[in-house]
Amino acid sequence: MKVSFCSYSSLAASCTAFAALLFLTAPAYGQDWVRTGTNLGQARIRMAVADFKPAGADPETPALKATFDSTLYSDLANAGIFDMVSKTMAPQATPGSPQEMNLSQWSAAPANSEMVAFGALSASSGRLTVYGWLDDTRNTTSPQVLGKQYNEAASQDMARTVAHRFADEIISRLGGGINGIAETKIYFVSARTGTKEIWAMDYDGQNQHQITHLSSVSLSPRISPDGSRVAFASLDRSGWAVRMYSLELGRMVNFPAGGGGGTNQSPAWSSDGTKIAFSSSRSGDPEIWVADANGGNLHKLTAFHGPDVSPTWNPRTNTQISWVSGRTGLPQVYTMDQDGANIQRLTDGGYAISPSWAPNGAMLTFSWNRKYGPGAPGGQDIYIMDIASKRWLQLTHDAGSNDFPCWAPDGRHIVFERQIGGHTQIWSMLSDGTEQHQLTHVGNNFMPNWSWK
Amino acid sequence: MSSLLEGNEEHLERELAGEPIAAPATGSVVLHGLLGIAIVLYYIVGGFFHSNVWGGSAAGGAIRVNITSALPLPSDQPINQNVLATEKPSPAPEIAQPKEEAKSIDLSAVPIPGKKEKTKPQPTPRVPPKQQQITQDNRARYGEQSGSSMPRALTGQTTTVGPTSVSEGDFGSRFPWYVDGINRKMSQSWNKGEVDPGTPKGARVYLTYTIHHDGTPGDVQVDRSSGSPTLDRSCVRGVQRVDTFGNLPSGYNSSTLKVSYYCEY
Repeated sequence: MKVSFCSYSSLAASCTAFAALLFLTAPAYGQDWVRTGTNLGQARIRMAVADFKPAGADPETPALKATFDSTLYSDLANAGIFDMVSKTMAPQATPGSPQEMNLSQWSAAPANSEMVAFGALSASSGRLTVYGWLDDTRNTTSPQVLGKQYNEAASQDMARTVAHRFADEIISRLGGGINGIAETKIYFVSARTGTKEIWAMDYDGQNQHQITHLSSVSLSPRISPDGSRVAFASLDRSGWAVRMYSLELGRMVNFPAGGGGGTNQSPAWSSDGTKIAFSSSRSGDPEIWVADANGGNLHKLTAFHGPDVSPTWNPRTNTQISWVSGRTGLPQVYTMDQDGANIQRLTDGGYAISPSWAPNGAMLTFSWNRKYGPGAPGGQDIYIMDIASKRWLQLTHDAGSNDFPCWAPDGRHIVFERQIGGHTQIWSMLSDGTEQHQLTHVGNNFMPNWSWK
Repeated sequence: MSSLLEGNEEHLERELAGEPIAAPATGSVVLHGLLGIAIVLYYIVGGFFHSNVWGGSAAGGAIRVNITSALPLPSDQPINQNVLATEKPSPAPEIAQPKEEAKSIDLSAVPIPGKKEKTKPQPTPRVPPKQQQITQDNRARYGEQSGSSMPRALTGQTTTVGPTSVSEGDFGSRFPWYVDGINRKMSQSWNKGEVDPGTPKGARVYLTYTIHHDGTPGDVQVDRSSGSPTLDRSCVRGVQRVDTFGNLPSGYNSSTLKVSYYCEY
């Protein structure tokens, strides 16, 4: 009786008044109530990371531990939801287990941390073992939020991977279910070898490596949602074609719809991985075409005078496409349904290109020069727009020419290319424009694309 | 007769003879004159010694009033409609005391002749509700606290529950980081711009919703409207915009969590 009273009553007062009584009478497993409100919790979580405790005397351990510690710290700092305690402010203690943890030491000044990540790391006979914990320093009765154990081959790459995974766990737990991006990759075009080839790197700019060796010109890489294939535009003897590279097979695979005359460019995967939209001029004007991922079922969506390029799917529904159309002169960003109906123009002027749809389906990011023209004061900058209200926010200001923005799968980061003084490099930032970091430093690098997971 | 006439004549004679009025008339005039001068002098002289004695027994120039200590000055705290923490504590229900027998003289005991006796309906003694009698501890603790802007879940009771016993209602103290996460998500997803700017500051809408085990919200309902439809709607939309609050903590036994949330404009 009393249980049902508590769950149906809107007065928690009654519930709290009866809490003691309930505890004595009925060991019920109903649902709990928590009371929250706005103007609370906008502050970032103060997070401290203890250096992990080296266990064992293996000579590999110190090097792996250094990689692990620095990667974990930078992952958490990059997440954009933590106020990190600087390592110099944190206590020098290295608790290796919850028993060795002295919470008051971390919650006190100068660290003042609310959360502390700590653990132990050991390498022995070629295996790397990591125990990681996350404690809430304000909750002395049950501080543990997270406990994890990892066992991988002992190498620098795996030390970094394990740190990425542990950071993702922490970010997912404390960020309210946002997908960590620490294990994601960024695919991009690099001209550092002399020709423009497709490259890949970790999300933080580490581990850059070349994917294609076509000795041609390859542009606009797009990784498939399952991470197995990269679609890109490449110049061959018959002109520009959309081509496909299998990361699993390590070679080019066939995509018959991508060629066939005209200029075929800017592929875009639907988030279920079954369709690819791209622009093709095989019928005259560049128009948006859609094909199945295996190259079949090719059909045209747009039929207007003027170029239509750079499609991107709504990853939430896969029923809408945003693209760039030049039907009114300068390129503008539009949206339409996947059958080509219900066309809406989003930008009201200027020069708007390169849309990328946010994972939650509500926002677009694109590159926009709002005051385009000779002598106009505008610059090419990254904007985001709320599609429903068409309200926009400028993310970059007075810093070079910015283009090709792409959302990260967590919906909180954007990667883009920035050209300053003839050098083009890949940058990333939070989706409010803060925390801009340069990821590439060698050669010229273009057209980044963030992997889906 | 003649004697009578003589007497009459004498009387007449006395009446006709001129009376000596000069002396008393002069005296009267002088006296009135002195009286007038005295009055004039009184006001002239009294003007030099000005005193104002109205309004009080003691000497003083003003009315003395008692200033009440409870002037209805505007509150410096924002409107707090939280029934759990109000500025005006609700009257604590008193413990029912057995009524003392009236020892005063019953005036109606002596019958007044000629007066008709009125029979009053005897009020039945009220039985206080049972809940309030359970323990002294229950005495309306919730109403006595002054207005507080702290979320209830975070100020929640300091539990002395051991690690093995799982009790209801202590989610906020066991998993404060999850409650923080809800706050953070909601403040990100609530779009204040959707609210009509005419809405009074401090207006609050209370929602209830359920968080499922995978963190998805559902069953959003307006628990107490703010009176502003746009504020109510924007807050509901704020919840609906959240994809997930993250999996419920693994140490939590139930499959769902009931949340009460308010949006304050």
